[in-house]
Amino acid sequence: MLSPQFRFDPYSPAVDADPFPFYKTLRDDFPCFFSVDAKMWVLSRYDDIVRALNDWQTYSSAKGNLMDELPNRAGATLGTTDPPRHDRLRGLIQHAFNKRNLDYIEAHIRDAAREAIAGFAGKRTFDFVEDFSSKVTVKVLFRLLGLPPGDDHLVRDKAVLMVQSDPVTRQKGSEHIAAFEWVKNYAEKVIAERRAHPGEDLISQFSLAEIDGDRLSDREVLLTTTTLIMAGIESLGGFMTMFALNLADHAQARRRCVDNPALLADAIEESLRFNTSAQRFRRCLAKDTELHGQVMRAGDFVCLAYGSGNRDERRFANPDVYDIDRKPKGHLGFGGGVHACLGTAIGRLASKLAFEELHKAVPDYARVEATLPWMPSTTFRSPLRLVLARQ
Amino acid sequence: MAKIVYVEHQGIEHVVDVPDGWTVMQGAVTNGVPGIEAECGGSCSCGTCHVYVEGEPAAGLAPPEDTENAMLDMVAAEVKPSSRLACQLKVTDTLDGLVVRMPASQG
Repeated sequence: MLSPQFRFDPYSPAVDADPFPFYKTLRDDFPCFFSVDAKMWVLSRYDDIVRALNDWQTYSSAKGNLMDELPNRAGATLGTTDPPRHDRLRGLIQHAFNKRNLDYIEAHIRDAAREAIAGFAGKRTFDFVEDFSSKVTVKVLFRLLGLPPGDDHLVRDKAVLMVQSDPVTRQKGSEHIAAFEWVKNYAEKVIAERRAHPGEDLISQFSLAEIDGDRLSDREVLLTTTTLIMAGIESLGGFMTMFALNLADHAQARRRCVDNPALLADAIEESLRFNTSAQRFRRCLAKDTELHGQVMRAGDFVCLAYGSGNRDERRFANPDVYDIDRKPKGHLGFGGGVHACLGTAIGRLASKLAFEELHKAVPDYARVEATLPWMPSTTFRSPLRLVLARQ
Repeated sequence: MAKIVYVEHQGIEHVVDVPDGWTVMQGAVTNGVPGIEAECGGSCSCGTCHVYVEGEPAAGLAPPEDTENAMLDMVAAEVKPSSRLACQLKVTDTLDGLVVRMPASQG
């Protein structure tokens, strides 16, 4: 059943700015909706998304997982392969991201946060994106992946650009593809250097790794490394910015976190549910599938709207209320199933430590601009600038 | 569909109906049962969904494969003969009544 009135256009700036009313209509009236604008089906209810995430045999990632896929990337990265190869690839990388292996980076995260804070000391207003989340994210990711210092700001700018889409042409623009190529070339140089002089770092290990006696293909090593840089920088930076926005807009929650920093962990979980940056990912149907009276065909693409599942009143009571006491188990802020975010532990840790440091220096802050400049992206959602004023 | 009895380390029980085809790990995580972290989402590559399986259905489980055994070497809590990774246990009717005890720690 297609509605002549209702449209869901993930390229629209209105959806970038506030997708949640659209999601509610999708959940209530069109739970299995074909978007002519996105040329794919959209699943918006929590249960349907979880079922799809747990059924990779039907909802395959092998044709790409970004709403607008980057050229020649699908099939060569963790997010764009299916088990069993996915699981073997993930096994090579996962250990570097496990919580128990991250102790070494804690001091580094705090230092990165303090250094960023020192950069805007004495200023009444600051741009959280430019002055804080970008700087902290780049420092943490460079350390985690063992990337050489220098170029860090350029790498950050390109990583953020490559996930965007052009709202007018409804696809990746030349500047987005060029940014992707730039990060790919950068990764290629790092990989060549590591293969020549291998160390203990993740990229050295990964670039020399084998699965069942076969070394990974150059394309797998290159595109997986490129994706780790992209996902690490964009996702961590985007999430921290959304977290700052929530704490700026919900002063009581922020004050409780400032008084008792242990509550930051709960506030992070609620932010992952409430409006995390990873709003929508894509799968491709491996077989015909009927859902809510609609028949989706093998080969059709399907958008899994995590941001909508996280606001589904069938799963979460009063879903549009930001409540740090909620403890929302099973939220979709990191996706789910075998493709659940690789960086869950580092994302939680970096956000918690960065905000502990921020709150020591800047305990009270408020948003300056009522209307925010949202990033044009069909997959991710965060503001390009978030000016905060000390109170 | 099978009823899985999850038992937290402190003894708190959670009985969950888990659909066929899901894993014991998914049944816990999706329903908010504490004690399983599953950092890798079920790719058998993190060792943070370590559990002890008990009850009659446990006897019918296929033994762990090499990748599961390799990860069981890396789990945080004591490994016992009943140790399994919950992400590798696919639910079928025959698992109805499986008791899944959580270790003290996953990492």
